[in-house]
Amino acid sequence: MENEKIVEVCDEAAGEPTRDAVIDEELLIEEISIDGMCGVY
Amino acid sequence: MSLLDTPLELDPQVALRPEPFGALAYHYGTRRLVFMKHRDVVAVAQQLTAHPSLSAALQACGIAESRWPSFAKAFATLNESEIVRERPVAG
Repeated sequence: MENEKIVEVCDEAAGEPTRDAVIDEELLIEEISIDGMCGVY
Repeated sequence: MSLLDTPLELDPQVALRPEPFGALAYHYGTRRLVFMKHRDVVAVAQQLTAHPSLSAALQACGIAESRWPSFAKAFATLNESEIVRERPVAG
């Protein structure tokens, strides 16, 4: 989607990722536009 | 001035709905819907007004400094999306 923006952090220097490191590399937020969906059920 | 040093607040037109994965943030003005995909992001967003800067809110929420760059990026995107905004400092 045009309004979708992905925020990612890649840490190639890290060894085996810990749980927190995996979380940091994941998407913390995801934006979705619902414009134009009025009336869609 | 880095966003980490900026006082922020949730936009008054934003409704935050906690979910098991984190929260949904909906802006009634722009009709933008944002998924906050981690509870830590939600916790920080809810604490923004209680702290003088984003970094202070991150620290108060116990976010490890190694994660601050990710959060700074996330809140920069939230700022661009008008989900959060700079908070005027009373002077």
